[in-house]
Amino acid sequence: MTAIPTPAAVQPDRGFRNRLIASGGEDLKKCFQCATCSVVCELSTARQPFPRKEMLWAQWGLKDRLLADVDIWLCHHCNDCTSRCPRGARPGDVMAAVRREAILHYSAPQWLGNCVSQPHCLPFLLLLPCVLLGLVAWGSRPLEKLFAASTSSNRIIISYWSQLPQWLLIAFFATLVLLDAVVIILGVSRFWRDLNARGQAMGFADNREHEKQSIAASIRTTLRNILLHEDFDRCTFNHPRMNSHRFVLFGFVGLLVVDLWVLTVRFNPLLKDAFVYPFNFWSPWKILANLAGGAMLLGCSLMVRDRTVHSTPAGTLYEGTLFKGTLFKGTLFKGTWFDWMFLGLALATVLTGFGCEILHYARVDPLRYMVYVVHLATVFALIVLLPYSKFAHMIYRATAMVYAAHTGRQRQGGPSEFE
Amino acid sequence: MADEKKNVAVFLCRGCDIGAALDIEALEKVAREERSVSVCRSHPFLCGDEGVAQIKESVQSGVTSLVVAACSGRFHSQTFASDSCFVERVNLRELVVWSHEPGNEDTQMLAEDNLRMGMARALKAEMREPAKLAAEPTILVVGGGPSGMAAARDASRAGFRVVLVEKEADLGGWLRTFKRQFPKSAPYRDLESIDLDRQIRELENDPNIQIYRSAAINSISGQPGQFEIELEVNGSAIQTKAGAIVQATGWKPYDASRLGHLGYGRSPDVITNVEMERLSATGKIHRPSDGRPPKRIAFIQCAGSRDQAHLPYCSAVCCRASLKQALWARELDPEVETYIFYKDIRTPAQSEDFYRRAQEDPGISMLKGDVVSVAAADAGSREPLRVNVENTLLGPSIAVEADLVVLATGMVPVAADGEVIRNLRDAKAIINKGEQGPQLDAARQLIADRGHLEGTDLLHLTYRQGPDLPVLNNGFPDSHFICFPYETRRTGIYAAGCMRAPNDIEGCIADAQGAVLKAIQCIELTARGATLHPRWEDRTVPDFQMQRCTQCKRCTEECPFGSLDEDQKGTPLPNPGRCRRCGICLGACPERIISFGDYSIDVISSMIKAVKVPDEFEEKPRLLVLACENDALPALEAAGVARLRYSPFVRVIPVRCLGAVNVIWIADALARGFDGILLLGCKSGDDYQCHFIRGSELMGTRSENIRQKLVQLALEEERVRIEQIALSDYQRLPALIDEFAAQIEEIGLNPFKG
Repeated sequence: MTAIPTPAAVQPDRGFRNRLIASGGEDLKKCFQCATCSVVCELSTARQPFPRKEMLWAQWGLKDRLLADVDIWLCHHCNDCTSRCPRGARPGDVMAAVRREAILHYSAPQWLGNCVSQPHCLPFLLLLPCVLLGLVAWGSRPLEKLFAASTSSNRIIISYWSQLPQWLLIAFFATLVLLDAVVIILGVSRFWRDLNARGQAMGFADNREHEKQSIAASIRTTLRNILLHEDFDRCTFNHPRMNSHRFVLFGFVGLLVVDLWVLTVRFNPLLKDAFVYPFNFWSPWKILANLAGGAMLLGCSLMVRDRTVHSTPAGTLYEGTLFKGTLFKGTLFKGTWFDWMFLGLALATVLTGFGCEILHYARVDPLRYMVYVVHLATVFALIVLLPYSKFAHMIYRATAMVYAAHTGRQRQGGPSEFE
Repeated sequence: MADEKKNVAVFLCRGCDIGAALDIEALEKVAREERSVSVCRSHPFLCGDEGVAQIKESVQSGVTSLVVAACSGRFHSQTFASDSCFVERVNLRELVVWSHEPGNEDTQMLAEDNLRMGMARALKAEMREPAKLAAEPTILVVGGGPSGMAAARDASRAGFRVVLVEKEADLGGWLRTFKRQFPKSAPYRDLESIDLDRQIRELENDPNIQIYRSAAINSISGQPGQFEIELEVNGSAIQTKAGAIVQATGWKPYDASRLGHLGYGRSPDVITNVEMERLSATGKIHRPSDGRPPKRIAFIQCAGSRDQAHLPYCSAVCCRASLKQALWARELDPEVETYIFYKDIRTPAQSEDFYRRAQEDPGISMLKGDVVSVAAADAGSREPLRVNVENTLLGPSIAVEADLVVLATGMVPVAADGEVIRNLRDAKAIINKGEQGPQLDAARQLIADRGHLEGTDLLHLTYRQGPDLPVLNNGFPDSHFICFPYETRRTGIYAAGCMRAPNDIEGCIADAQGAVLKAIQCIELTARGATLHPRWEDRTVPDFQMQRCTQCKRCTEECPFGSLDEDQKGTPLPNPGRCRRCGICLGACPERIISFGDYSIDVISSMIKAVKVPDEFEEKPRLLVLACENDALPALEAAGVARLRYSPFVRVIPVRCLGAVNVIWIADALARGFDGILLLGCKSGDDYQCHFIRGSELMGTRSENIRQKLVQLALEEERVRIEQIALSDYQRLPALIDEFAAQIEEIGLNPFKG
């Protein structure tokens, strides 16, 4: 006779459920567990597939299960599920709402996360660096001199560093980056611990050994997947999304490389003399930065279109299906504040960056300096918000993908399905 | 016997391939030379004006019996009908030319035999006077709940007088408890209120409706059209009459005290859905234990339903009732969280929208699973209840805390089991008489097992077969067969509402309409001396040669409709109004004293004997098929319509029911030289399809007699086979017949040829 297992206590968290409903998952209650979503999802797993189980957990407000769920991160929000859901429950958007909760949960301190994720915090976040930088600049030089120097200048290339003390900028942003790093390391370690606990409960530990990978191999697999957009490539309903994300990601990486070069090369005794800054327009670094900025601008614009054009794409899955045009109304993506804020900041950063550049070459004074300050403010907001905004998806999704590879969580259609 | 007085005319149709496939002149010769028919004609299409005129002409010239050899009797039944003349339809189309090779010798022989059988019947059949009864145009409605009220209203609107009997002090039934109902009208999303008072006033103001409150039935005797009813109202007896009865006695909730595993009786905070209804109606939900408002309410669906240990069936409304109660609780207190644990959420038709409405409410969470137990803390403890659920999508075994648990219990019909009550009475009589032996043991056992049903009588019928309707599956008295809703096994008494089948209010109202229509048909057809479903309009009446009766009581016991009572000695007392003309009594009677005008031992025997059986040297076997006219015969005809071929050696005689087959016919057929006999009837058993409920089952029990008969004649048992056929089985019929023919061929021909 087998021992009677102690029933697992299920404690619904109504607050959590209501937050999901309020932040993009307002249709989650419509799910009636038909499992169409899990069947059509190209990224879902062979065993305990998502997003069906997440929909039920969300309805019941099962916070602990959802926050430490590796699968919410395996989802790339392509909305194959949403497009086919016969009840209009929009599982893709529910998964996004759950990811938001996970980011806010793991990025300490939570109060800060909760605070900066509110719409009314944004003006404060943008104004703060302007005020701080302005104060420092004003304190270090007389204000009129600041502007006079620039207006009187007729050089084509002006060192921005001469307008604001460079030590200040470096110290200012480096501190923020360090703080971010601390928050992220703490968050990721907590996340990894919870993933493990949850994985045990879900039985991932029982996965076959040959499916598992070492951590190093898992990181390699994950990096390859991210760089090649392998997962995005499997989405069907909104496949073009792969390209917009690719543009943004590669643009971001390009800009990051240039920035790191600029920041580090000054302290590199070997290259100190060779380094000429500001760059010449035809300098390879400048070309890389412009190309990367252009890619990001293009990617972000495509993303905005995804969120604003109200229609189901012509000639897609809807043609001739039972649910044609009845359930999937509106945009492919339901933009939430969480989503828009990150996209908006990224777009603002790249727009103000190009703005500065163009105004600079056109020597529009003092507008170019003002735009520069705004640019700095958006960069500040992006960095401050990194662990608390959608920006953090790159950290947690990458972690989850490493975990999935490490534990052998297999895609459906993978080798384990027909065994 | 009657042959000499008969003036038979034969009309042959050549249409629909008959003329092309058969030698019509040879057929005419059979009619002219073998029987003394007065007229024999053929026509290219008899159903046309000219053909019909020819038939009419012959009827006017004094013909008493018509043989129309054309298509199936199920077509053109009105075209060839005659008031003054017996009409026998010989099927040359579906059963001959459409199912056998045209121009073939065997096909021709088949057609000739069919004609011979038809002529034999036409010569033997008698036209008897139908039993017209003076029918009282009043309908007795038993029960004043939603079904009974709707039945009373509809019967009155149709112009009939109504006697409405309610045992409570006021009308309304469960509606008096329910303050709100799940939606009945578009957009099917919001709870609705019930205006019971208006409905009661409407009935009270109706001069056609006599309402008796706080009333019970003392006795019902008589037969459809002429029921004599004695009511007891406030201690005084009232006599009244009715032509038909609608029983709408409703339901009671399943006994929740049997649901101890779900915490009922162990915690005051585990209640039934009916108790929750009362709690909600107060306007504020309080926990029974401490009077506090519950914050978490768990609904357990199918509590004691769809469960072999309790009610095996679904009660149809509990899902919607729980959705309603959950929404209502959320409305009364928006802080309340409700959980619904279900096997399946069953919200038929537009209720799907109501389900969506409840589903969209953030405070209503639903989960499919099996609730195995509700753990209640000790009395006085503040511990919440724990609902233990298995096989859920949240885990194989989970526990959810709740402050209040509502058990969605199902409906149990308020109906007495007439057969058991009667058996209990008989058992008591056996004990009182001081009989000994196995009968006494059986009587004692019955009283021990079912004694609690004594005194549960509702209708108090004075029928020999018991004082109430016989119940079928799960205690419901409905015939529960898809083809005849509202029919019961007592002619003229119709079941409506939740005592027929669990239903919602709309369904009960629809039931009431159906049952009232049946009651009206009963009154009107009884007045014309015609019977009811399934032999609509049949005006034949069974005749009992009582001087030869041996009081074996088989007819009284085997009649599926309890139409026979009996006197002190056990002689049957027929009630033609209750009779459905199935002929099961005729099949049962060992003395063969029961007959109908066109369906008697003699008529069918004559048909069997009319078949020309070739001698053994011709090597043409003959197979008699006695086919039930309800499903088997139409299936055979459907096979013909589909042009399916089968052995031309079969000779088909339609019978009213397999139960209406007397074993003597089998002996006759074997003596005549038939090589095999195939009995085709409807499905018997729990999910029977027999139109007379027990006919094919009875044939099963009588088959032992047949076996003995075969042994007596030193014939193989395989020569007689019983098969159960549904109408939809027509495609497998030819293979079945051919396989039987092959088997008979293997056994060899009947030695009693010629």
